[in-house]
Amino acid sequence: MNRLLCPFVILAVLFVSISSFAEEYSSQSSAGQTTETQAPASASSTEEYKFEPSEIEKKPYHIGGYFEFRPILYGLDKESAFYKLKFFNRKEGSTIEDYDGRVWLEGSYEKGIVGFFLKTNLGLDHTYKGWDHETRIYEGYSSLKPSSSLTIDLGKRVFNWGKGYAWNPVAFVDRPKDPDDPELPREGYIAATADYIKSFNGPLKTFSVSPILFPVYHHINDTFGEWNRLNFAGRIYGLLYDTDIDLLFLVGESKTNRFGFDFSRNVTTNLEVHGEFAFIKNQQKTSVDASGNVSMTQFDAKSLLLGLRYLSSMDTTYILEYYHNAPGYSASELRNFFSFTDKAFDILQSTGKKTQWKKAEGLFNGNYGKMNPGKDYLYLRISQKEPFNILYFTPALTTIMNLDDRSFSISPELLYEGIKNWEFRLKGMALVGSRGAEFGEKQNDYRIELRVRYYF
Amino acid sequence: MQNILKILFVLSVLITGVPAYAAIDGTQLLKQIDRNLNPESYEMYRKLINIEPSGRKMEYTFFSVKKGLDKIAGLFLAPASEKGRSTLRLGDNMWLYIPNVGKPIRITSLQSVIGGIFNNADILSLDYSAEYDVEKIEETGNEYLLYLKAKTKTVAYDRLKLWADKNKKIPTKIECLTEASMLIKTLYFKDIKDFGGGIVRPSVLETDSPLYKGYKSVMLFANIKQRDFKDEVFTLTYMPKMDSLRK
Repeated sequence: MNRLLCPFVILAVLFVSISSFAEEYSSQSSAGQTTETQAPASASSTEEYKFEPSEIEKKPYHIGGYFEFRPILYGLDKESAFYKLKFFNRKEGSTIEDYDGRVWLEGSYEKGIVGFFLKTNLGLDHTYKGWDHETRIYEGYSSLKPSSSLTIDLGKRVFNWGKGYAWNPVAFVDRPKDPDDPELPREGYIAATADYIKSFNGPLKTFSVSPILFPVYHHINDTFGEWNRLNFAGRIYGLLYDTDIDLLFLVGESKTNRFGFDFSRNVTTNLEVHGEFAFIKNQQKTSVDASGNVSMTQFDAKSLLLGLRYLSSMDTTYILEYYHNAPGYSASELRNFFSFTDKAFDILQSTGKKTQWKKAEGLFNGNYGKMNPGKDYLYLRISQKEPFNILYFTPALTTIMNLDDRSFSISPELLYEGIKNWEFRLKGMALVGSRGAEFGEKQNDYRIELRVRYYF
Repeated sequence: MQNILKILFVLSVLITGVPAYAAIDGTQLLKQIDRNLNPESYEMYRKLINIEPSGRKMEYTFFSVKKGLDKIAGLFLAPASEKGRSTLRLGDNMWLYIPNVGKPIRITSLQSVIGGIFNNADILSLDYSAEYDVEKIEETGNEYLLYLKAKTKTVAYDRLKLWADKNKKIPTKIECLTEASMLIKTLYFKDIKDFGGGIVRPSVLETDSPLYKGYKSVMLFANIKQRDFKDEVFTLTYMPKMDSLRK
C-alpha cells in the first residue's frame, strides 16, 4: 500500500508546485498582454504571426528550471554479486520501484559587470530504503566580467572538461558522468577561476587560458582528495585550423598530478571526430584475487577516448566512442572480485562471520563499485530525428559494452518534446552478460523508467 | 579584312567579355542583396515557428549577433525548455551550448537544434556571397534569378536558385538544392518592413519542403540593428554568457 501511495505523494507535491507556479506565470502573462493591448507594437505586421516587444525584453534577473517526476522499475538479478552487496540483509521481490521527484531551480542576477548564478536540486525520492530527500546547491558563484576578454568566477561551479559524450578521462576537476545518462546535471566544486580569451585572424582563431585555484579542506571539496591542500588546475584552449584543442592539468597534493589534452573537429558537414588523452602520475589501484588477497599497485596511467558523431542523410545521428580506462580492471580482475564476493557471501550466510564480507563491501565502495570499473569500453548511440515526420519525437538506442568481457547494456528510449515546455522520455535498459562479467553481475537484469519534465 | 576583324571582335567579346561581365555583375548583385538583408555586423531577434499539418505550432525566440563574413552567435530566449541554449558559428564550425550539459558540443550544419524544417545553416546563416558563387543570372519580369553554387563542399546546400526584386534588390524566393538539383526546401521572403537605421527588408521568412509535406516553418524578424562586437564574443568560452550582450 505504501508503495502505491509513493507516486501519488510525489505527484501531489509536484502538482501543487506546478499549479502555484502556473497561476503566478499566468497572472504575469495577463499583465503583459494588457500592456501589449494598450500599446500594440507588434514587430511583425502580419496578422497571422505575432512577435511582441515584451517577448524580447531583457530583465536583470532570471528564474527558471523544471519539475521532474521519474518512476523506475528495476528487475533484480538475485544471483548477481552487486545484488548481494546491496541487498544482502533485505528480502526484496523480483522487482523494486523508485519514485523520484525533483525541482531543479536556476536563478541569476546580472547588473553591469557583476553576476550571481545559482542552480539547486530539491529532490524527494521513495526507494526500497524508504523516503529520502535532498536539498543541494549544484552551482552557486559570483562572476565579474570587466571586459569581453576576461571573466573571474568565485564559488561552486561545474567545469565540464573534455570532448567525450559518455566519458571524459580529462575531466580532472569534475565529478564523473553517468554514461547511461550523460546529460544529467552534476554537482560542482568550490573554486576560484578566470577565463581570458583572445581572438585572431589566421589559423589560430581563438586562444583562451583558464587557471583554477582548487582548495580541498574540511567542508570545502572534502570528497575530492587529501585535505588541507590548495591545488592548481588549468585549461588552455585554442581553435587551430578549425580544430578545438584543449591542454588541461591538475597539480597539487589532493590527488596525484595529471595532464591531458582533447580535440574536436568537424571533418565534413555531417561528421565530427573527437578525442581525449589523460596521463595520471602515480595512479594507485587496489585489486583483489579470488581468495580475497588485496594488493595495491602504483603506475602512470594513460587513458584514452576516441569518438565520432555522424549524421546520415536519413537524419540518423550516430555517436560512437571507444574508451580505454587505464586505472580500470581487466576481465580477469573483475571476475576475481565477483568470485571473492560470492565466497564472502557464502561464508556470511553459513557462519555469520563478517570479516570477508566487510572486505568485499569495502572494495565495492571503492573502485569496483564505480559505474564502469572496467578497462575498455565501446559506446554507441543511434538516434533518429522525427521519424515518419513526427515532429519533436526522437527514438534512440544506446549500448555500452565492456570489450574485455563482452558484457553490455542496451537501452531503447522514446523522447517526445512536442508539447510546449513538457518533455516525456520512456527508457528501458537490459543488462546482458555471463556470471563473472561486469554487466552480468550488476544488481538488475533490466530497468524501465518514465521521465516527465515540465520546464518553467 | 574588316569582316574578319568584326568576327574576331564579336568572338573576343563572347569569350571574354560576357562571362567577365556576368561574374562581376552577379557577385556585386549578390553582395548588394546581402547588404539589403542585413548590415555586415548586427544584432537581431527572431521568432522561429514550426507549424504542423494540424495547425499546431511550436515557437522559439532567438537573439543573434553577427560580425563580418564568418562569425555569428545566437541565444534561445524561449520556450523555457530551450532558454539559455546558445549556438556559435565560425565559418564552417558550429557549436551548441546546452546549460544542462554545461559545455559546447560540435554540431553540423545539416542538423537542426529546433526540429522542423529550418536546420542549423538556416538559423546561423552567413552572407550568401560568403558561401556561394554566382553561376548565372536570368531576368524574369520584375525579378532577377540568380543561380548560385556553393564555394566549398562544407556548405549546407550545394546550389541555390535565388529570385530577387529588381528594384529593391531583396530576395523574394530561394530554392535550396542538392548537388543533383533535388529540391530540399523553398524559402519565401515576405512582408517588407522598415526596421530603422536604413534597414528595409522582409520581416517574415516562410519555408516548406517536399521532405516535410504539409509542414511549414516561419521566421519572424525584429529589432535588427547595426552593432559592432569584439571578436572574443564569438568564442566557445563566451557561449554561456551570451545573454550579457542583450540590452
